[in-house]
Amino acid sequence: MDAIYCGDTLIVDLPSGKTEEVGFGQEMLEENGPGLAAGLALYREHEDDDPLVIGSGLLTGTTAPSSSLGFVLGKSPLTGEPAVSPLSLFSGAEMKLSGFSMMVIKGDSPGPVYLWLHDGVADVLDAAGLWGRDTWVTTDAVRAEMGEHLVQVVSIGPAGESASKLASYSINYWGSGDTAALGARMGEKKLKAIALRGLGMLDAEEPPGFYDKGKELLAKAPAWNGLNKVGNGLGAGDIDAWLKPIVHRYRSCFACPAACNTFVKYNESPSVMESTGVEEPGMLVTGAASAAWLLSGGWKAEQACRAMEAMARAGIDLIRGARELAGSPLDDSGGIDNAVGGLSGEEEAGWPGVERFSEGLFGPWVPPLVAEDEWLLANQIGYVLGICPIYLLASGIETGGLFGLCSTAAGIELDSSTVAGMFS
Amino acid sequence: MGRAAGDPVFDRYREVFLSGGPISYPRIAVYTGSGASHSWIWFADLFERLGLFDVRFIEESSVRHPGLSGFDALVIGGGDTYEIASSLGEEGARAIEGFVRDGGFYFGSCAGAYLVLSGVDLEPFTPFDLIDGGMLNTMAAPPEPRCLEHKYRSSYGDGWVFHPVYGEVTLAPQYRKARQGVNVPLFGGPVIGEALPDEVLAVYSGLTDRAAYLWPRREAERFLVGRAAVLRSGLDEGTAVVSGPHLEHPLYPAANALAAEILAEHCAGRPGRVIEPSRSSMSNGETAPLLQEIKRQVSNGRIVGFGLEKMPVAWQMGRKVWEPEKIRMFLECAWGRLPFLWERAELIDPSGELEPLASGYANVTRISKSLKMRIESGQDSQAEASELLLSLKELTARFLSLYFRLRLETRFDDD
Repeated sequence: MDAIYCGDTLIVDLPSGKTEEVGFGQEMLEENGPGLAAGLALYREHEDDDPLVIGSGLLTGTTAPSSSLGFVLGKSPLTGEPAVSPLSLFSGAEMKLSGFSMMVIKGDSPGPVYLWLHDGVADVLDAAGLWGRDTWVTTDAVRAEMGEHLVQVVSIGPAGESASKLASYSINYWGSGDTAALGARMGEKKLKAIALRGLGMLDAEEPPGFYDKGKELLAKAPAWNGLNKVGNGLGAGDIDAWLKPIVHRYRSCFACPAACNTFVKYNESPSVMESTGVEEPGMLVTGAASAAWLLSGGWKAEQACRAMEAMARAGIDLIRGARELAGSPLDDSGGIDNAVGGLSGEEEAGWPGVERFSEGLFGPWVPPLVAEDEWLLANQIGYVLGICPIYLLASGIETGGLFGLCSTAAGIELDSSTVAGMFS
Repeated sequence: MGRAAGDPVFDRYREVFLSGGPISYPRIAVYTGSGASHSWIWFADLFERLGLFDVRFIEESSVRHPGLSGFDALVIGGGDTYEIASSLGEEGARAIEGFVRDGGFYFGSCAGAYLVLSGVDLEPFTPFDLIDGGMLNTMAAPPEPRCLEHKYRSSYGDGWVFHPVYGEVTLAPQYRKARQGVNVPLFGGPVIGEALPDEVLAVYSGLTDRAAYLWPRREAERFLVGRAAVLRSGLDEGTAVVSGPHLEHPLYPAANALAAEILAEHCAGRPGRVIEPSRSSMSNGETAPLLQEIKRQVSNGRIVGFGLEKMPVAWQMGRKVWEPEKIRMFLECAWGRLPFLWERAELIDPSGELEPLASGYANVTRISKSLKMRIESGQDSQAEASELLLSLKELTARFLSLYFRLRLETRFDDD
């Protein structure tokens, strides 16, 4: 059981800068459930200290398809209620391998700090030199300090530092899907970044069974490139065709058969394959919703991507930022910084043409063509198991196989109703 | 200790050595001095798996003075044979010979084998002459290799020592009961000739798919198969053993068992060394922060080391080529053993034993980062790499000295 999570729960007391480790084991999982369910229990336990809880799902970081998902849980400045945002790309898996099963960040730091979690060691480090820097500069600086570019850096930019309601944490250089403004909570806490890297190993309760089942599931799991399966399939326009002239490559998150993330180049030709050209050739488009807003607002792909880059650098939620920008497209790149700098943050998140918002744990929007209860259940399962809910919905993968993996991984019997019950 | 640690093949030898019966519990010296590569840490793994914890890690100066009289066994693993021989010198050679003739056990693997073969007879090897045997893998002008040019040859007199295979080979043991073939890695060790037949313990008997063929496979097979790989020779009261392949490699438990058996046979019937259970309680409560700092810095070093492994770089030190993978091998050796130090913290001297490790590993992290930055910016990295690898070797020997002391003092705790 313990092997599918590695390490204790880390308690970080920001006012004192001290850390403490408390046990995370069978009892915790049996009482509350894994993943976000355990995170919610920790949140409630430490609620008086206005915590951010960071963790990963039961299958995060394993060979299960799309097992990339970790989470950040905290009180959303938008609603005043607990809300969860994703740790995607490789940050969820690194959280799993960092040597800590979960992390609770309590209180506010007297000055800027960042956290460095590595192999079961937690360092609270001074971030005075990073304060005021954008997320790209911050990511580069933290990686240079640690001497390794595979370090995953969850950081905030100026938007988070000023606790703007538009703020979102970025994952390395890119947009994160933090629609709950938890980046603003990081700013209030003077928490500039969380750096994650672990060379640990996970184990399963029944290794051969886990491996065989995972391999079988992966072989059947639908795969695709680009954002259309998510965006167009859920009601947006043809994002892939719009981006096509500047697309360089497609990238998946950890262990995901679908390479949704689309790297576009606009500072050099997208046909250039060598990485020896310009230092910052373009941008990784990580979400369909922000692209869909700018596409529907009549933006050209290049200008839209430049605007998304500017928002990611500033640590602004790309979805709400794109929604606000959508109505006034720019024909050239000249005014992008001003346009992004002038965002008011008055717009809610959402999807073009849809006005169905949720105030719940899983954020303030529900995509079109998905029933709200279906969206809710996909998120509950996704955040408990550590499987991307967007992949669950877009691929139509059978969740029964994933629940079977939980049994061989940790001896935990789960199904949809058990998971839903963890949130009731 | 490697994936082989739990292999039941070791149970017999653990029992033999720890039983306190007619077999002595040997005090073992592992050579870690000039010219030694990383492979001596495999001996540390092997001895730990055998339950042999009276292990010291020594350099050339200790071999020369005070000498080896306090030990029962000396092992020398892979590395740069020229550098090892030069560093030990005539004085070291005489110390080793005297040690064996007085009843000691010498085990030389790869470079440690070349060192003491009588047929390896140029300066600086001339004084080292423990076992009758020559090396067949020499040639005035060996054919060009198919791959791994940097592993293929090194100069020897007017010609070259060359290696037609790099990786796993199969041995056929030649003594006692007939055995099945034993797979073992050959990383540049000698193919031995001119040996006395009754001193040959194993011959090369075949090749496997887990090797790089620097010659066409059929030609490599013709060259290797049937030739001596492991020799044992009695010298007065002692025993000298040389092995071309690395019998001590942690992923080859059957080969490890062969090495264990050779050692056990030497120890059988010799007067046992009495080691009383003892405890050196010396902690004053300051070990936890220092252990945490060691953990922090070893972790930082591993993370940078992992990044270095993706870089197309290698460093020549003496006649030995070092790849970035070696950095993490040293660090993993400490990382896997850190939990045991936490368990036995009360037996550790914080200032004498932990502080040098903490500052040493912090320095390793610093040099690793500097090394990586130099490589990334296209600058020469030889000096940093030399400093780093030397630091890692010394630190790992220091770490393992502490670790084996604790294991020795607490070896009966689980009984």
